[in-house]
Amino acid sequence: MRRPPQWIQIAGSVLIAIAIVAIAIAVVTAHFGPTSSAELEAREERVEERLELREERLEERREGEEERGPG
Amino acid sequence: MEQLIEDLTRGNVAEVKVVLATVILGLAVYQLVLAAVAYRWLKLPFLASPTASWTHRASGDAILVLTAVVATMCLGYYGLDEGGLHAVAACALLALLAMKVLAVRLGGRPGRLLPIIGPAVFVAFAIVWLSSAGDFLGSAG
Repeated sequence: MRRPPQWIQIAGSVLIAIAIVAIAIAVVTAHFGPTSSAELEAREERVEERLELREERLEERREGEEERGPG
Repeated sequence: MEQLIEDLTRGNVAEVKVVLATVILGLAVYQLVLAAVAYRWLKLPFLASPTASWTHRASGDAILVLTAVVATMCLGYYGLDEGGLHAVAACALLALLAMKVLAVRLGGRPGRLLPIIGPAVFVAFAIVWLSSAGDFLGSAG
């Protein structure tokens, strides 16, 4: 069997290297799943913000009740 | 430095390091095949020895750059604390890589050591990967 021209051999071997890189990235990223630690942190921040907002509303309600006085 | 690494990886320092280390390991396996073809230990009908040698060097250059990036991330972010086997293997790997580059550049007698240094570099890469990325992937899965 005759070998293909050198430029095809070079292109082919470089393409294989690129394929190895792409497969490694895809496999490891799939293993981690869609939730990166940055996403998890953002989610935690959103939960904290929601809790803070809830506490603020509760305080506002309490203050309103105190201003109105008992009865 | 820590802040820069964290900003560049958007907080996913370990994940980015694991991806890069796995890419390096994949390319290192390919390097073994290319070296075997270059030394004519393995004969492929579609790849000549000089071409395999050329790709081996090009891929090796890419591995060197990636290794420098991962090592900088590792030292800059985690430091040398709690290194254990990983730190020892990584130091050995860097020494072997330096030896390999020198052997390639000098040629002659040192160049004859390449068939020994090459597989040793691969083994060092495998140990470094197993002691960090392998561990991390095992615990993440």
